Amino acid sequence: MPIVAPGKRPAPRFERSHVLGGKMKRGRKATNADLNVVPMVDMMTMLVIFLLQQFSSTGEVLYMQKDIKLPDAQHGQTIEVAPVIAISPSEIAVVGVKVADLSELEGDSGYLNIPGLEERLRDEKKRWDFIHQQDPDKKWEGTVNIQADKTIPFRIVKRVMFSCGVAGYFSVNLATLDVGSYASTAAREAPGGP
Amino acid sequence: MAGGGAMPEQGGGGRRRKKSLDAVINVVPAIDLLSCCITFLLYTAVWTQISRLQVQQFGSGAPEPPGEQQKALLVTLQVGERGMNLSTTAGLSVDIPVERVGGELHQDLRALGDRLKQLRSDYPEATAVTVSSEDTIAYGELVQVIDTCMGQGLISVSVTGV
Repeated sequence: MPIVAPGKRPAPRFERSHVLGGKMKRGRKATNADLNVVPMVDMMTMLVIFLLQQFSSTGEVLYMQKDIKLPDAQHGQTIEVAPVIAISPSEIAVVGVKVADLSELEGDSGYLNIPGLEERLRDEKKRWDFIHQQDPDKKWEGTVNIQADKTIPFRIVKRVMFSCGVAGYFSVNLATLDVGSYASTAAREAPGGP
Repeated sequence: MAGGGAMPEQGGGGRRRKKSLDAVINVVPAIDLLSCCITFLLYTAVWTQISRLQVQQFGSGAPEPPGEQQKALLVTLQVGERGMNLSTTAGLSVDIPVERVGGELHQDLRALGDRLKQLRSDYPEATAVTVSSEDTIAYGELVQVIDTCMGQGLISVSVTGV
């Protein structure tokens, strides 16, 4: 015999009837539970507004690297899509490909140009020419982004800029952290920051 | 209150049921849309605000600026370990020594800003400056100097070595 919970157990016919105002009815619980979604919609709306404010149509042109700490600037402009030369304390890379070691540059003959960098930039220029060969209206602007660590001495930056000029890139954009943005503030507040 | 008979003052006769005052809005499409938006925006979010300072390399064979700028006042700013020197073709030459902040030597950017502001008020047409830096100057320090120049309206910056 099954174990049942104690309580009133009227006869089935009596249970189905409306006698006693239907108090004896033991209907099933509703299967549809109401869920209050208003707070969730509020939260999602706030999130969408915040993310829309953060949205950048140009996308991520430069990827932050651990060994490159960018200097701050207050009067910078929006960064453009262009080949990126990353100068870390150990190496120089163009679009992610290493082209020179800084230790070798410090000890070489003293020429201003960096052959590996020039060659890579010329390849980039050839690729640009190939892509835009059917588009005569598009003029070569020769823009390049330099993403250098702030401790790099100017003699290295000067050689990089010279090589850019030799390869046909005359307009140099120095990448900086926009002062007032979250990353810049966090970098300043971090221990060991400027 | 949902349902119920007609109100006596409306004289409805009690047959028609009044519409419920509680409107039910289906928020499921809104949630779907917001979820898609959040997914897209999170995927494409850029968390670091990187800007650029556009400079030209002085004397590298770059295209010459328009003739109007050549006739204008030439401003040269030399940056060295001992400080800066601001000079113009009009005969101005001002030394701005480094300042000591917390035991470290830094370029006096505030004094530079004041000098450039004064220069711009005297020569409003001057918008170009040539920044000449020593080899040992750190890139971060040079960028701050260039940033100060751009902040004072000298937007056409050429960079060269000493």
